[in-house]
Amino acid sequence: MTAPGAPGSAGAWWGTEDVCVRFGDTLALNDVWFRAEPGRVSAVVGGDGAGRTTLLRCLAGALAPTSGRVRRPIPLETGYLSAGSGVYPDLSVTENLAFRATAYRVPAQQARERGAELLARAGLDRVGDRLAGQLSGGMRQKLGVIAAMLHHPDLLVLDEPTTGVDPVSRADLWWLIARAAAGGAAVVLATSYLDEAERAHDVLVLDAGTVLATGTADQIVAAMPGTLTVASARPAGEAGRGAWRREGRWRVWNPTAADTAGAIAPDLQDAVTVAILARELALVPAAGASR
Amino acid sequence: MTELPVQAVAVTRAFGHFVAVDQVDLQVRPGEVVGLLGANGAGKTTLIRLLLGLLRPSGGEIRLFGEPPSRRTRARIGYVPQGLGLYDDLTVGENLAFSAAAFGEGPGAAALPGPLLRYGDTVVGALPLGVQRTAAFAEALAHRPDLLVLDEPTSGVDPLARARLWETVAGAAAAGAGVLVTTHYMDEAGECDRLVVMAAGRVVARGTAREIAGDARISVVQAESWAAAFGALEAAGLPVALVGRTLRVPGAPPDAVRRALGDLPAAVASAPATLEERFFELTLSSAQTEARRDRRP
Amino acid sequence: MWAMIVKEFRQLRRDRRTLAMMIVMPVVLLIVFGYAASFDVTTIPTVAAGPEAGQVTHLVGEPFHVVATEPSQGRAWAEQQLRDGNAAVAVVTGSGRPQVLIDGSQLFTAKAAIAELSAAAAKAAVKGAAAGGQASPPASQPQPVVTVLYNPDLNTSDIMIPGLAGVVLVFVGTIITSLGVVRERQSGTLEQLAVMPLKPRDVFLGKIGPYFAVAALDLAIVVSVGVGLFGVPFRGSLAVFALGAVLFLFVTLGLGVLISSVSENQGQAIQLSLMVTLPQILLSGLIFPLASIAVGVRWISYLLPLTYFNEIARGVMLRAEPLAPLWQPFVLLALLGAVVFTLASLRFRADLAPAAPRRGAGSPRRPESARGAPGTTSATSAVGTPGTRSAG
Repeated sequence: MTAPGAPGSAGAWWGTEDVCVRFGDTLALNDVWFRAEPGRVSAVVGGDGAGRTTLLRCLAGALAPTSGRVRRPIPLETGYLSAGSGVYPDLSVTENLAFRATAYRVPAQQARERGAELLARAGLDRVGDRLAGQLSGGMRQKLGVIAAMLHHPDLLVLDEPTTGVDPVSRADLWWLIARAAAGGAAVVLATSYLDEAERAHDVLVLDAGTVLATGTADQIVAAMPGTLTVASARPAGEAGRGAWRREGRWRVWNPTAADTAGAIAPDLQDAVTVAILARELALVPAAGASR
Repeated sequence: MTELPVQAVAVTRAFGHFVAVDQVDLQVRPGEVVGLLGANGAGKTTLIRLLLGLLRPSGGEIRLFGEPPSRRTRARIGYVPQGLGLYDDLTVGENLAFSAAAFGEGPGAAALPGPLLRYGDTVVGALPLGVQRTAAFAEALAHRPDLLVLDEPTSGVDPLARARLWETVAGAAAAGAGVLVTTHYMDEAGECDRLVVMAAGRVVARGTAREIAGDARISVVQAESWAAAFGALEAAGLPVALVGRTLRVPGAPPDAVRRALGDLPAAVASAPATLEERFFELTLSSAQTEARRDRRP
Repeated sequence: MWAMIVKEFRQLRRDRRTLAMMIVMPVVLLIVFGYAASFDVTTIPTVAAGPEAGQVTHLVGEPFHVVATEPSQGRAWAEQQLRDGNAAVAVVTGSGRPQVLIDGSQLFTAKAAIAELSAAAAKAAVKGAAAGGQASPPASQPQPVVTVLYNPDLNTSDIMIPGLAGVVLVFVGTIITSLGVVRERQSGTLEQLAVMPLKPRDVFLGKIGPYFAVAALDLAIVVSVGVGLFGVPFRGSLAVFALGAVLFLFVTLGLGVLISSVSENQGQAIQLSLMVTLPQILLSGLIFPLASIAVGVRWISYLLPLTYFNEIARGVMLRAEPLAPLWQPFVLLALLGAVVFTLASLRFRADLAPAAPRRGAGSPRRPESARGAPGTTSATSAVGTPGTRSAG
């Protein structure tokens, strides 16, 4: 069992520096700087195509970047959950874990005990003999995460472990994640749920391969430019371009607001939406009424 | 008498011994957005398939626009399944054309809405997920349905794109369609006029998000060393959730939490439960009742 | 309904593999049945031995084609020529009636030879009868003694079952293996393998190992049943046969892995496997004798591994052919095996290496465009130690 490195201890980090990844003529990642520290959970958020999976694959060692540096542990000390659970659908739960244990050279006895404990806590103890392909989506993801952390990796990379998963399984998954971090691993997870990203220690926001924002959730929110107000309908004209719908009402963003009358306190989701919107508006010149 | 888009009464569906949907009542009124929440295996998908006429109920009654599900009612429904239902190897334009023809609409229905114009000739498989979802919506709305059924319509998409999809949904509702939506994003529960929470095939809660969250409260722990606190609460058998640097313990009053922590330096307070935590509680307690009947999850 | 038709056409237009199959398959079959599928034998390689060997050339006409004459050699040499597959018919002259030995393991050639000889004998009898009905034997040559070696009853099963053994190896080796490896790609676990501390070589060998074992078992069963139930002889060396089988397996397994490396799902893998397997069954000499296949098309046969294994299997099982005269098919199999296996392991390694991104790996809802040339690996990747690292 690895002794946890004190968070923030000088020099102990995994991550990327100025990493670019090019697929043909598409730049999937552009100068991405990212740092993950032991004992912490870092979230990577962004829409589809933003480059989250590409970044995670670089961290896990499944992809070599076109340029830049990746700092990662040896394969033996890395755990990876690819998008799509990465477990064999035609092997049982216990067989899947046995394969991982052998591949990562975990002594059989230790693997059995740790596996049994994690499975029990995640609610999978009764389905040890069931084929992974017959598990529900949430249970399969839980198995995938357990398989990825079975060998106590120093770096645990999880690609969307909770997407499409029911809230109960999601709670179990977060328990597993917290457990891994408590054990000293640096956990990096990609998610499309911003409330989850808020639970992480720090957040990286990607959009079209570049970094939109980085830091703790509070820092990102504090760095949000302009102010946010709430309206019951989309404002007409120019102001309407900076508005979006949320929970039945409309958020209206004013990039250059000086007065904060009626402004609400944004949360991470608001800040991220603003960041994406700001980039979009800067790219698209004002052209009549939108839509 | 106005015909409701959906009127389901005591609907039940069993597969052998396994009861997937158990005495469910559900209504969707024109212009209303109803959110269906539930864990996987709670019966949401089965219920939707029953409403669409893909399955027959074992018991109870389903009426769509006043009649049982049929090909005629199908023509008034727009459905976006989880898998989107688009052909990956056809372009957006070709997909819309096929759907328009299948619903007996003229070529006007295959017209691309503004945001999709630039993608009209791109094969769907080559498009980012957000655009695919927009296309699936466009296809479902092209024949001006009176009932919109959406299964996890915004999964995996960035918040701005999600907001835009919900704009489309709200627009359809404003135009008079009834909308039934399933989702896992708790904040989207706020987009719905009403929520129906399912667990183990039954409806366990109804109402607005606020009503359902109700007065439930949980304990919040702020500790110097969250890892140690985590371990202590674990050892005491309490369910713990990590949020940033704080720990949230649903279903346990602050003094029970205090006891479990022993003399670990920590601040314990009470706080209102979020909808998600309340949902978690509801599902858990239902599972406990369920465990008495031997049932596969 | 019309909309459905239009949609299917549009999808078909984009599905290049199915299109290829729909066009290529009929063409292949046409070629095969036009030029290859024939049981007619036009040339029968013959050798002559014994003192009057030189005369044999004049005495036998088409389709017999004398390829060697050895007046100093006798029956033993002639038999060896047949055993080594150098000829299908041997005429041994000497005192007494000439002996004609026919290789029964080349079924259709043998039948053609027998038919020719019967016709000639009938002609001679007619000639003799026409020459005055004398009771004396015909003035030309004495009637030869015809012996069919190796397959005296001219059984079809005797010559089919050795070849069938090869078909089994093709089936398991190529089709089943390609499915097994593609399944990994489909279930998204290939990427997991890529990040595990496993050597690509271990993964590769570990993956094909079971198929190798199963194929070997299948082969043993087919041969045992053939020998035990159908009475197919196994006259030659088990070791030579086994060596041939192992070499052949390398080729077919390698093909299976190669096919899987260019297929994204099991459907594609099966399509490609079939396209590769069908010509082998039709053109390898298994059903239609090589000698009957038009020369213009026969070059394809010489590219197919099953052709060589067929030769080895028949030679060893029916004629007890030893290793030495079989050097050609062995060497060619070994060569094919080396090429295919190397290509296969290179491509497999590329799948597992952290370089070229592959389109469609795993998740179907994430079309991160991965078209285009693999990225250069000029990037530096610091692996192993960060600044400070806690002891594990």
